[in-house]
Amino acid sequence: MKKGPFDMGQIDIAWCPGCGNFGILTALKGALTELGVRPEKLVIASGIGQAAKTPHYVRTNVFNGLHGRAVPAATAIKAANPGLTVIAEGGDGDMYGEGGNHFIHAIRRNPDITVIVHNNMVYALTKGQASPTSSIGFKTPVQVRGVTEEPFNAIAVSVALNASFVARAFAGDHDQTKDIIKKAVSHRGFALVEILQPCVSFNKVNTYQWFKENTAYHEASYDPSDRFAAFKRATEAEKMLLGIFYVNPDKPCFEDTLPPYYKETTPLFKRRIDGEKLFGLIDSRRRV
Amino acid sequence: MIGEAAIRAGCRFYAGYPITPQNELTEYMARSMDNIEDGTFVQAESEIAAINMVIGASMAGARAMTSSSSPGISLKQEGISFLAAQELPAVIVNTMRGGPGLGNIAPSQGDYFQATRGGGHGDYRTIVLAPDSGQELADLTRTAFEYADKYRSPVLMLADGMMGQMMEPVVFPEPIDVSLLPHKPWTLGGAEGRPSRIILSLLLNPAKQEELNWKLERKYETITREIPKAEKYMTDDAHLAVIAYGTAARIAKGAVKRVREMGLKVGLFRPITLWPYPKNDLRDLSRHIRDFLVFEMNTGQMVEDVKLSLEGKSNVHFYGRPGGTISTPDEIAKMINTLYHRQNLEEE
Ligand SMILES: Cc1ncc(C[n+]2csc(CCOP(=O)(O)OP(=O)(O)O)c2C)c(N)n1
Ligand code: SF4
Repeated sequence: MKKGPFDMGQIDIAWCPGCGNFGILTALKGALTELGVRPEKLVIASGIGQAAKTPHYVRTNVFNGLHGRAVPAATAIKAANPGLTVIAEGGDGDMYGEGGNHFIHAIRRNPDITVIVHNNMVYALTKGQASPTSSIGFKTPVQVRGVTEEPFNAIAVSVALNASFVARAFAGDHDQTKDIIKKAVSHRGFALVEILQPCVSFNKVNTYQWFKENTAYHEASYDPSDRFAAFKRATEAEKMLLGIFYVNPDKPCFEDTLPPYYKETTPLFKRRIDGEKLFGLIDSRRRV
Repeated sequence: MIGEAAIRAGCRFYAGYPITPQNELTEYMARSMDNIEDGTFVQAESEIAAINMVIGASMAGARAMTSSSSPGISLKQEGISFLAAQELPAVIVNTMRGGPGLGNIAPSQGDYFQATRGGGHGDYRTIVLAPDSGQELADLTRTAFEYADKYRSPVLMLADGMMGQMMEPVVFPEPIDVSLLPHKPWTLGGAEGRPSRIILSLLLNPAKQEELNWKLERKYETITREIPKAEKYMTDDAHLAVIAYGTAARIAKGAVKRVREMGLKVGLFRPITLWPYPKNDLRDLSRHIRDFLVFEMNTGQMVEDVKLSLEGKSNVHFYGRPGGTISTPDEIAKMINTLYHRQNLEEE
């Protein structure tokens, strides 16, 4: 097979054979290639977890930070250098548990970043505890009687917060997932792509087969500009729906609201100091 | 081991968040709280949530515990500072791993400063216990809950991943009857027949804050008088002593045994409380021991406490391996041997 611009060549990948993450990795690289994103103009930020290892396997700029904190880091990367394409990637525990607060506030802030969440409905790297998205009744060595908490519905939360792009994909469907990632990365503003991902080692309930049986795509005629319809579909549908739930193209991006970018988009580190203005400011304070 | 000992010590509330290498403890607490049926286990959404749950459980009167590993303990520091300010008892277990940052999951002692110097903000101290064996893990867990209640203070247990893997027979202390524990008159438990209470740490009036700081300080002086503890191993006739705690002390003990066989007069000083540091015991040793070799699984953090205790009266040397690398007793024995001869100790 021809080596793509984001391929690493021969590397060791620390995922189990059959893990849904492989499908996501292929779809992600495919989407970026087809979009013509240049590896040197891309940053993928991640936290900690099996999903958060993904950027290690992509030939580009990678920031692998703290558990749960990829989104604030990604927000700031974009705010310091708006010329970059910025993706934050991680698992459901990383993004919705430890990073849940950041997730909510990033949606409000609306930076132009894509957030890809591999949702395997379990904490995989720490060997099988329930995650915020585990189903009620899901048993683990820690949830001995099964999960009792309502699963975190990230799609519904995002729509409720008027996120600018909200979609769900399934790791088993390569073409659709690639297509959704392409749309998310092209979208200006906060874009959530939650990708349902089978974990063959620690989640014996939500398997490939289970996802096949319990998901369905929005019909082609579905209009993702209707927020109430999107919320209804996120909360009431019998199956977990796949595809784009909601798009709001009219929200201003966080970077656009920052004064340094009113006139130009030169990254902060490349700007020359306007000495006159700076000393003028210092002098004006002195007089007080 | 800590889990069983905690249940027997009357721990009835545990909150945690998954992190390697201490998931076995969380699993144990989940199972046991379920078995005993009058205990509560919560897997929180983050370490910050977990420590704040412990704050809540503690102020409601329960013996409460949380556990994590280095990065997770960093996240709990704000809560630990609050526990100290509010004089709320709690037990916090840190199964240390390599750092800083995410580091790795191998056994380490890199969090000595964080543990003994406070870790969180403000003028406070945390009692720090450093077991070195399975039996001591069990015993000190009991002690930790007792100190927490007695001194109304957070108590930190420092362990590492190696201790979790030790297969040793352990005799657990008898379980206590929680209902017989002394009444805690300061808890929030319904203001029936008394004025309502408020637990807070926001003291905008500097005079009030100062008053609290001095009150805490007096308590810390009492603790410093009452609980410092250390083990002295073959130190009576020693010319040189290794100073080490926790897993490092176990390795060092093996090394001491080896060099003793070679005829070297070497002992081991093992602090069991890291705060308060067993200063007086160490100073006593310096009457006949001129050279001390501090051995830690870090770049030399306890060296400061050793030097402060000895006040320049002896020579302090250091050997350490940070980042989760583990020294062998042979490696330490070699270090001791070299040092012993370099300092001409055989002639004394
Ligand atoms: C502060 C902190 N807390 C906890 C951990 C341990 N930890 C590593 S990954 C992870 C969660 C993994 O679950 P998820 O994000 O769903 O990713 P997955 O491994 O399932 O892909 C946790 C709790 C950590 N590294 N740092
Ligand atoms: S444990 Fe689960 S998520 Fe991790 S690599 Fe294996 S299958 Fe994938």
